[in-house]
Amino acid sequence: MLTYVLRRFLVAIPTLWGVATVVFIMARLLPGDPARVIAGVLATQGDVDRIRRQMGLDQPLPVQYLDFLGSLLRLDLGRSAHTNAPVLEEIGSRLPYTIELAFVALVVAVVIGILAGVTAAVRRNSKTDLIISSLSVFGISMPVYWLGLMLIIVFAVGLHALPAAGADQPTSIVLPALTLALFSVGLIARMTRSSMLEVLGQDYIRTARAMGLGSGSVIFRHALRNALLPIITVIGLQVGSLLGGAVLTETIFAWPGVGRLLIDSIFFRDYPVVQGLVLMFGATFILVNLLVDLLYAYVDPRIRYS
Amino acid sequence: MRTKLLALAVVGGLALAACGNGTTGTPTGGSKQGDTLRIAIGVDPDTMDPMRQTTTTIQNIVQMVVETMVKIDTSGKVQPALATAWQTSSDGLTWTFTLRSGVKFSDGQPFNAAAVKANFDRVLDPASTCPLCGPMRGVKSVDVVDDTHVKLNLAKPIAPMLGLLTEVTFGIVAPASIQKGGSTYSDQEKPIGTGPYTLAERVKGDHVTLQRHDGYWGTKPNYKSQKFLIVPEAASREALVRAGQADVILLPPVSDLPALQRDSTVKVLLAPGDRTIFMAFNTQDSQQTLLQKPEVRQALNYAINKDQIIKSVLFGAASPMDAPMASTLFGYCKVGSYPYDVSKAKSMLQAAGASNLTINLVSPQGRYIQDFQAAQVIANDLTAVGVKVNGPRTMDWPSYLGTINVAPAKASVDMHLLGWAPGYLDASQAMVQFQSTQWPPAGLATSYYQNPEVDQLLAKANSESDQSQRATDYCTASKQIWKDAPWLFLWVQRFPIVYSSKVTGVQSIPNESFYTMYASPA
Repeated sequence: MLTYVLRRFLVAIPTLWGVATVVFIMARLLPGDPARVIAGVLATQGDVDRIRRQMGLDQPLPVQYLDFLGSLLRLDLGRSAHTNAPVLEEIGSRLPYTIELAFVALVVAVVIGILAGVTAAVRRNSKTDLIISSLSVFGISMPVYWLGLMLIIVFAVGLHALPAAGADQPTSIVLPALTLALFSVGLIARMTRSSMLEVLGQDYIRTARAMGLGSGSVIFRHALRNALLPIITVIGLQVGSLLGGAVLTETIFAWPGVGRLLIDSIFFRDYPVVQGLVLMFGATFILVNLLVDLLYAYVDPRIRYS
Repeated sequence: MRTKLLALAVVGGLALAACGNGTTGTPTGGSKQGDTLRIAIGVDPDTMDPMRQTTTTIQNIVQMVVETMVKIDTSGKVQPALATAWQTSSDGLTWTFTLRSGVKFSDGQPFNAAAVKANFDRVLDPASTCPLCGPMRGVKSVDVVDDTHVKLNLAKPIAPMLGLLTEVTFGIVAPASIQKGGSTYSDQEKPIGTGPYTLAERVKGDHVTLQRHDGYWGTKPNYKSQKFLIVPEAASREALVRAGQADVILLPPVSDLPALQRDSTVKVLLAPGDRTIFMAFNTQDSQQTLLQKPEVRQALNYAINKDQIIKSVLFGAASPMDAPMASTLFGYCKVGSYPYDVSKAKSMLQAAGASNLTINLVSPQGRYIQDFQAAQVIANDLTAVGVKVNGPRTMDWPSYLGTINVAPAKASVDMHLLGWAPGYLDASQAMVQFQSTQWPPAGLATSYYQNPEVDQLLAKANSESDQSQRATDYCTASKQIWKDAPWLFLWVQRFPIVYSSKVTGVQSIPNESFYTMYASPA
């Protein structure tokens, strides 16, 4: 098991190197002169050139690339071209907000999604099933920005019940977390429903019922446990999409997380921050994938890694 | 050397209000005291360093903390601030400023000539990052005459000196905090100034809070603190003010302006601005040589129904241009109009042999009020007079700048939409758009306009120390530029501010700045 985990970490290194290279190239393929964007349209050519030198952008690309990899090995992501603060500090000050938002959204999505999915599967073809299935499709198809604005209009402008934007009140997280969770709720509910239906049709469930086990025990101990594998896969994938979805949600709700930082940095052609963030997203994906694989073994004892 | 006294006097024809009592902050709101004024803005500050900051809205916040030598009032006129009087030598090579006495920085240090010198030395240090310092680099050295007098020695005259000094770039921060060699010399994240507020807290991406400076020398503000909420999405800002969770917001979605104007819980201020929106022609166009002819460009100016676009696309958030610069600038004079006239446009195009004109056109999206939407209507209006239009095409801002900010030989589009807001309210800052020395990559004169007569007039006006002569020169140049039509002259953008009707005294300065210094509860 330990060797397996270690091997996975070693494999992650070339993957991250690939991510770093791709993002390095992509950032530089974007049209537009970062020095000009940073200096502003009113700056003189001399000031633009000075900024270009300070950013090291007057160097040939291979030199920039080697510099970039060299500092990466020293775990130095450089300084933001836009704010002049170290990239790690920029990301570090924003990351807790995104983690908080994604975590709350994930918990909401998992709890509501699984409960709704199980309910729909157990009451198959009933009105409840129809309502849950329709709401799931609604959740999956609603664009985040539309849904977010609707929630703001209803709960902040109309009912004066919740903050519309910002992150400085305890209730500030409610609307962004709900908005962010809804897509995942729909997906998890649908996956749970179909996975449960498959399991509920199995012989051992009929046997369990025949043995006189209570329906709660049958559903949660026997059926859900065996239906979990595909659900966990979906949840694992959702962690990635929650981080991605956070970009839009954070913009609408003025939530000061890394998603907004990424958008701002792309607009300012702030290469060091864009590179740092994409690397961080890449590392998160690799880590979550590993965790999901390890969870498989926990949920299904037949799966063993060596 | 004969020295001409300009103390508290005429800044290029704009008479200053007599100002004997030493206080220039004009309280504009009521006198009720308030706790916190919450203002939602769209941009996240990159830096709070006055020297490094280039975004108007953030400069606006910094300006409440760090004061400048002179300032612009709500009508756009230059007023004394930390300097109470100034003299310039007849050759324009030295400026002597009399400083306000009894002023202290919020950390208790006195404001004096040494402080001014320390700040100028810092911003003009070639090692410093000061994107907006370019025009000030003509200052050779700064001398402390005595505690309350400071002298700027110039290599060449800088005619718009006072306008330049209104920029927070040249604001005065406490000298102890910018000692050379110290970590805050190159980057000030918590500047200490003499202003009515101090910077209390900043959470990146979320908010900036200012706290009232009780030792302020001038009229003290009514709100104990002003909190700037950073909300990038316009619709979310609108929701905040409607929900009563913000007191003031900048730039609501313009399409909601009519609804906001009907809403009795909020007030809408369509503040006069200084940003001209235009379509620059490529006047050196080698692909579409017809655009090199002024008659063709004039004809196209007649083809656009500006009033209608302002009304139905911009929801009133602009006024038509009547000169190549905004009326809020020193050196502006009204020069004319190109009234909407389809048949005139058509016949002029025919006479110029341009009845089969094909043009490709680009516009940014979301940079200026309804920019891309307006570009679509403009393309339509051009089609109506027989022009074949390819576009409008759009792209993100850095790519856009990369496309239009190129030397003439590399130009790939015939017309592009652009907005130009001068750094400070002086014609010299608008006219860089029409100087052939400012063609990209040296500057951003993206229409590649060249008229030797205009070049000569502008060069003269930019270093002329007789301010009324300067104004005359800019006016003459404006008339010629209007006739040569290097732009499709569109409109001067207004700056929409929405505030709760529970607040009073929310004002603006005509350079896209809000002025909430003396707001108060209604």
